[in-house]
Amino acid sequence: MSTTIDKDDKDDKDDKEPIIHVRNVVKTFGNGVRALDGVSIDIGRREVVVVVGPSGSGKSTFLRCLNGLETADSGEIVIDGIPLDHNRKNRLEIRKEAGMVFQQFNLFPHMTVGRNIDLAQIRVRGASTEEARRNTCELLTKVGLEDRVDAYPAQLSGGQQQRVAIARALALRPRVMLFDEATSALDPEMIGEVLDVMRDLAREGMTMVVVTHEMGFAREVGDRAVFIDEGRFIEIGPAAEVFDNAKEERTREFLSKVL
Amino acid sequence: MRSRTLKRFFTHILRTPVPDVLGFVALLAALGLLFAYNTAALGYRWQWHRVLRFIFTIRDGGFVPGPLLTGLGVTLRVVAASLVLSILIALVTALFRLSRSLLAQTIARVYLEVIRNTPLIVQLFFTYFVVAPLVGMDGWTAAILALSLFEGAYASEIIRGGITSLPAGQWEAAYSTGLGRRDALRFVVLPQAFRRILPPLVGQAVSLIKDSALVSTIAIYDLTMSGQVIVARTFLAFEIWFVVALIYLVITVTLSASVSVLRHKLLGKYEYHY
Repeated sequence: MSTTIDKDDKDDKDDKEPIIHVRNVVKTFGNGVRALDGVSIDIGRREVVVVVGPSGSGKSTFLRCLNGLETADSGEIVIDGIPLDHNRKNRLEIRKEAGMVFQQFNLFPHMTVGRNIDLAQIRVRGASTEEARRNTCELLTKVGLEDRVDAYPAQLSGGQQQRVAIARALALRPRVMLFDEATSALDPEMIGEVLDVMRDLAREGMTMVVVTHEMGFAREVGDRAVFIDEGRFIEIGPAAEVFDNAKEERTREFLSKVL
Repeated sequence: MRSRTLKRFFTHILRTPVPDVLGFVALLAALGLLFAYNTAALGYRWQWHRVLRFIFTIRDGGFVPGPLLTGLGVTLRVVAASLVLSILIALVTALFRLSRSLLAQTIARVYLEVIRNTPLIVQLFFTYFVVAPLVGMDGWTAAILALSLFEGAYASEIIRGGITSLPAGQWEAAYSTGLGRRDALRFVVLPQAFRRILPPLVGQAVSLIKDSALVSTIAIYDLTMSGQVIVARTFLAFEIWFVVALIYLVITVTLSASVSVLRHKLLGKYEYHY
C-alpha cells in the first residue's frame, strides 16, 4: 500500500531537514486575545506530533496557522522548504503540501463523495476526470469506503464522513497531514474507525500534526507530544515521557484532569 | 386505511403550491363578486362581450393575437432580457461587495445606495430622457437597462446574503484542499448559495414582472400600455383592467409555482447537513 507515500526522491535527499519549521509565531485576534504567544517547533519527516492542551489554549490556531488559514502576526513558518508569507503562490503551494482534516468534516454537501475527492485533483493538479476518479477510488479503499463513492455526505454517518474528509485531504498526495480535533464531533462508537485510519497513515510514514482530546491515541501514535497552554508550548518531548512523566507542573495538572 | 391515504394525499398537496393558487383564485372570486355587487349599484354596464377581441380574434380560421396579447409579448421580452441582465449585475455587485478590494466595494456601495434610494420611475425617466439621448440608446434598451439596474441592486443583496450565510468551514475546506478563491466560489460556495437564494430570487423576479409595468411610461407598448390605450379608446375601464391584472397574476403565479416544483425536483435528491 503506497498510495500516498510514493513521493519523488526529494524525501530521502534532505531527510534530516525538518519538514515543518516554526519560529516565534505570534497570533493575536481582533479582540486582543493572544492565541499564540511565540511558539517554535521543528517537525521531522515521518514524525507524528500530537498537540494537547485545555480548550482555548491555541491548539487549533497553531494548526490553522500551519496551512495559512490564519495568518500569523509575526514569526516564521516554513513547510517543506516553502516559506508561508504574503506570497499567494506560496500559500497555495503549502496547501497542496499540507492536507487538513476538520472537527466538523466540512465535506461539500452538494457533491457526491467521489466529487468531493475528485475536485482538487482536477482543478489544482490538472488531472483528467478518469485519472482523478481512479485515485479517488484508491483513497476510498484505503479508508474502507470504496462502495460509497456515489453517496452524498448527508447519507453517511459521522465516522464515514470524517473518513471521506481524510481521503479528500490525501487527494493531492500531501507530505503533511494536519488533524484538528478530527474525532471531537463524533459519537463515541465512531471514534475508533477514524482513529484506525489515522493510525494506518502514521504507520505508512505520513508526517502528522494531530490536535486531539484522545489521550490514549495520542500517547500510542505520537512520536512527540506538545502541551500547549495560553498560547505557549509549555512542554515538548517524546509522547510517552510527556504523558507519563511530565516535567512541568501545569502539564501534570492538565493530564491528571483528562486521563 | 382509506383515511390514511387521504391524509397523505392532503399533506402532499399542502407541500405543493396548489393551496396558494387555490387561495388566489378564491380571493379573486370573492373580490369579483364584491365588485359585481357594487358596480350594479353604480349602474355600470358590463360589456364583457367586447373584451375578447382585444385579447385575440379568429380570422380566416387563424389565431390573431389582439393588442393585449401583443402587449404581453412585449412585457415578457422586456422581463426576460432584464432578468438575465439583472442576475449578471447582481452577481458582479455581490462579488464586488465581498471582495477585498476597497475600490470594488465602494463602486458596489455607491451603486446600491443610488438605486435603492431613488424611485424606479425616476430612474426610468433618467435613463430614457437623459442617458439614452446622450449615448444614442433606443427606448427598449433604456427600459431593459433601467429595470435591470433596479432589480439587480435588490437581487445582489439576496445573493450576498446567500454567500455569507454559508458556514466558514466550507471556504476553509475548499482552501485547504488547495483550491484558489475563484474555484472555491465556483465549485463550492456559489452552487450551495444558489440553492439557498433561489426562493427569494424568484420573489425578486415576480417584482420585476410587476415593476415592468412602469416601462409603459416611456412609450414601450407593453401589457399595461396596451390596456391604457384600449381603455382610452373604448371606455371599458373595469373590464380591461380586470383582464390586465389577471394576466399579470397568471404569469407571476405560474412563475412561482413552476420554480417551486422545479426546486423540489432538483433538491429532493439529498438533504443538507452542516
